[in-house]
Amino acid sequence: MQLTYLEAIRQGIWEEMAQDPSVFCLGEDIGIYGGAFKVTDGFIDAFGPERVIDTPIAESAIVGAAFGASLTGMRPVAEFQFMDFIGCAFNQISNMVAKTHYLWGAPAPLVLRGPSGGYVHGGPFHSQNPEMWFVHNPGLKVICPATPYDAKGLIKAAIRDNNPCIFFEHKYLYRRIKEEVPQDDYVVPIGKARVAREGRDLSIITYAAMVHTALEAADILKNEGIDLEILDLRSLVPIDREAIAQTVKKTNKVIILHEHSRTGGLAGELSAIINEEAFDDLDGPIVRIAGLDSAIPFSPPQEHHYLPKVEDVVRESRRLKAY
Amino acid sequence: MNRAHRAAPMGNIKPKSKASNAPNSRNGSRARVRADASSALERSSMNNGRSAKRNLRTYEIPDYRLEHPEFQILQRVEKDRQGQEHVRYEVTGDLDSPVPPIRDSQYLDKQQAIQIYRYMLLNRKMEIALENLYKQGKVVGGVYFGLGQEACSCASAFALDKDDWFAPMIRNQGSLLVRGFRAADTMMQYMAKADSPTKGRDGTSHFGDIEKRNMVSPISMLGDLIPVMSGVALGARLQGRNIAVMTYIGDGGQSTGVTYEGINFAAVQNLGLVLIVESNLWAYSTPSNMQYRCKDLAERAIGYGIPGVIVDGTDACQVYDAAHEAVERAHRGQGPTLIEAKMMRMKGHAIHDAASYVPKSMFDFWRKRDPLARFENYLVKEKKWLTQKENDGMIAEVEEIIEAEREIAVNSPMPTPESAEGGVFCEEGCHEIKPKYGVPKGKKGSAAYKETEAAVHLK
Repeated sequence: MQLTYLEAIRQGIWEEMAQDPSVFCLGEDIGIYGGAFKVTDGFIDAFGPERVIDTPIAESAIVGAAFGASLTGMRPVAEFQFMDFIGCAFNQISNMVAKTHYLWGAPAPLVLRGPSGGYVHGGPFHSQNPEMWFVHNPGLKVICPATPYDAKGLIKAAIRDNNPCIFFEHKYLYRRIKEEVPQDDYVVPIGKARVAREGRDLSIITYAAMVHTALEAADILKNEGIDLEILDLRSLVPIDREAIAQTVKKTNKVIILHEHSRTGGLAGELSAIINEEAFDDLDGPIVRIAGLDSAIPFSPPQEHHYLPKVEDVVRESRRLKAY
Repeated sequence: MNRAHRAAPMGNIKPKSKASNAPNSRNGSRARVRADASSALERSSMNNGRSAKRNLRTYEIPDYRLEHPEFQILQRVEKDRQGQEHVRYEVTGDLDSPVPPIRDSQYLDKQQAIQIYRYMLLNRKMEIALENLYKQGKVVGGVYFGLGQEACSCASAFALDKDDWFAPMIRNQGSLLVRGFRAADTMMQYMAKADSPTKGRDGTSHFGDIEKRNMVSPISMLGDLIPVMSGVALGARLQGRNIAVMTYIGDGGQSTGVTYEGINFAAVQNLGLVLIVESNLWAYSTPSNMQYRCKDLAERAIGYGIPGVIVDGTDACQVYDAAHEAVERAHRGQGPTLIEAKMMRMKGHAIHDAASYVPKSMFDFWRKRDPLARFENYLVKEKKWLTQKENDGMIAEVEEIIEAEREIAVNSPMPTPESAEGGVFCEEGCHEIKPKYGVPKGKKGSAAYKETEAAVHLK
């Protein structure tokens, strides 16, 4: 069945709710309205208001309640209307949920999910990619799918996981990409990267919407004889160190591409991992392509300027190839 | 939907009580004291329509106390002999009023009252032992005390059933003992020992147990437990059980935003939260009138649309009765209750803090209301439920227990450095997760997935 990225997530949650009575959803406007993006559209009719709970506008209460329910053996799936609002629940996530297993041994099988990312002119409070706040926070799994197949397989894996998982959906991809998604019950393992495109000359390490930006750049560069390999990380915690080392050892040149701000971004961490795992294999400097060190501006020309673009990848690839 | 989505307007609690023994009811903003006795909690929610003026709504807060001391704590500038200015706290108010009697419980029998008293003794003696361990240099970091608050900790937790849950705050070390933890558990936490419940990873009462004792570990940030406990009740309800979930918050901690979010969530979802607001007058060094403007924190309940009640936190019977009624409401699926327990933190914030900012007359006032001495006097002299000899025997037995627990704690080794590693994630096979109260009862839904076509918020 051809499914959009959004429909794949929706189907993944649906299937898990249908087969496991301990799964339930909570969040703002997720019931009769079906969620701001309609990820839970129709759920309240199918699964009833007990399992599809509209909450007050209170992110700390949503996360706190999800965590509390998980302690009784439930598997809550909590929606943030926009991932920008996850900051409102930061203490619950960082100090309560993330530390619980390490400190007192209680597992917290919950999923915090919602739309993130730019390219939709959402402005500074509806376009952010706050995943790094949680990458630097031991105890949380951080998942960022790029394709419908992965989105479905990873949301199902996250719901079944015994740990708190933060699932960043990319809202630009929601209805823009479609692919064949198998109807059988499958999961995509959390922590395994995927080679989105095999190539010889240099590697682009990226995830989420940027995978598609890199793929477009690869099509352009193919005509110039530059052959990009694209590694889609799929999850940032745990991160697939082996796959990162492997691609660097293969192409010897690497560009790290992400949407969020450059300083303190994932590229810094990945550069260190490459340094530790494959320093001797590098034939050029590690190149970063990232968002600007500012808030994401609203006006389309400004947002366009802020975010990484296909032409950035093309330009930097040419430069690195020639190095 | 079979779930009641609104807080039940009335908690039809109340066995009839003797008029002389029933709580007064105080109007939230107008301090009207009602003399009639029945059904304090029943009347605690909105009471419109009966008013002579239809445009004047009145709300009632039952007040179980037998005294109603009023204090004012203000910052005042004083000059020393050199003419230097110093800002001090000054207290004015009813500081000479006589100590009221213990209010007879409507629910506790003799045996239960003695059990609570014994837990209060354990609580007090354990904290004395902790203070000594600190002075001997055996504690890592500080020690936090619940001195003056033992009745509140012990009598509230005593009201819970086995299947109910609780989450203590730092001073509720007595609640842990009531729920079956050993004194050695808390002692080893303070000493950062390998055998402590967190194996050295955290201190104080920061530990939990989701298997047997149904306790959620607190974190240092205040108020965060409230939505979490609401979630525990939600989880249980999805599994077909109405349980009570008890937690505590101070007059300082209730200032946090997450406190509002948590209580409001419980109210909207009608979950069995029993929130004990421990008004102990000082939040570290800040007096309660610099935390909030309303007269009593129980009034906050009106804004949440839930019952609120005031008790004397140094009277174990009052605390128990209010907690018991709140727990019963929770078990009946009637939603949350806010219990404000008035008392005083009788030491500094932690052991390092001499509390020199507290006017001495306040300590003098509350020292006469020591919850343990009052309850002992009540059981031995007034009710004669304990002979002096039995009481002496119990004190000696508790001291022996604490000494044995101290031995266990002291003899536990320190953790190895390497034990700092691991356990960040629940790995394959480390926990089997299943619903605690049975298969969740919600609508099963269907595997037949229906695709949707919908509008999008941002294209």
